[in-house]
Amino acid sequence: MRFLVNIGAMLVVALVVGFGLSWYALTDGRLFGAIAIGPWQAWKDVGTPSPDPYTRAFIARSGSLELGISEGIQFVATTDSDNRRLDRGCRYRIDGNTPAARFWTLVPVAPDNGAPIAREDGPTDFHSARLSRAGDGSVALYVSKTLAPQNWLEITGEGPFDLMLTLYDTASFSGTTSEITALPAIIREACI
Amino acid sequence: MIRTLLWLLGGVVLGGIIHIVVILSLPTLSASAAWDRVAALGENSAPTILPAAKSGEPNPLRLDPELAYAVCRLDLRKGPGSVTGTLPQAYWSVAVYGRAGTVIYATTNRDGIGTNLDLGVFNPGQTRLLAEQQLDIAEGLLIVEAKEDDLVVVVRLAPPHPEMRARFEKALTTLRCGNIAT
Repeated sequence: MRFLVNIGAMLVVALVVGFGLSWYALTDGRLFGAIAIGPWQAWKDVGTPSPDPYTRAFIARSGSLELGISEGIQFVATTDSDNRRLDRGCRYRIDGNTPAARFWTLVPVAPDNGAPIAREDGPTDFHSARLSRAGDGSVALYVSKTLAPQNWLEITGEGPFDLMLTLYDTASFSGTTSEITALPAIIREACI
Repeated sequence: MIRTLLWLLGGVVLGGIIHIVVILSLPTLSASAAWDRVAALGENSAPTILPAAKSGEPNPLRLDPELAYAVCRLDLRKGPGSVTGTLPQAYWSVAVYGRAGTVIYATTNRDGIGTNLDLGVFNPGQTRLLAEQQLDIAEGLLIVEAKEDDLVVVVRLAPPHPEMRARFEKALTTLRCGNIAT
């Protein structure tokens, strides 16, 4: 009887560790090849010809069309800078400078199917070339259902959302220039 | 007590093995989900333009709503693959994907290739023929070597303004994909 209990306990531990660790590695993945800069996350080997096994498994599972390393890099944020899940009921200010890139886009999307969640008859995203900027070139972007000043993207629906920041033709990570060290902060201002 | 702990330790080790097996077998068990979606578009001499990502519509490939995408399927068993054409003066990039969804090669038009896209994709055998000068190719062809025969080429084009999207998508349809006659 004791033997059976031990075997059972061992199997439970093995399954929890085995599949739990795999799930963690492919969703959060911070310990396994994904990089995090503030709330932003990216898999940095995702666009290389021979990625490591974790990145390879992530690509197989994600089902999205990844950018090649020389095309650019995509960051995804699921939380604000204080580590709270992004919620459509709140107003967020995305504040700060972005790394050098030919241009970048910022799209709020639904977490499950990647559908943009901005108002249907308005713009779907922010484009770096079409923003109002402060005198020093920095930008403040607002994502909310309620009216906000400056650059505002009106979103719809209920529940959580993700922010997709894609930098195109950025020299970072190509090994020739310095790496990306800072990305804009996501600040929760008010919730309905 | 010690014996139970040893059993649990065995469980952790076994869990580690399961984890490694899962991670390593995932890409081989299934072609990437992105590949399945794109490959379903079929092979054609003209590229397929992916519908733009719109608000409220599912976007499984996580396309950028600002970009226009053209997709070509290439089969190198029929000869070296090629994607050629002229694109508008704007940001564009080209990426070659393998079955596992990995990017075999990618470049942008920053690299001095201007508005002309002239891409040739060769498998190892064809690369050898190329080196022996047994293949006749146009001058200035951008040569990419791929280890696989089934490939997808994605051309991304960024209209400076959403109003210009229709015109830019039309420019993408003038691209030609197929095989270089040998």
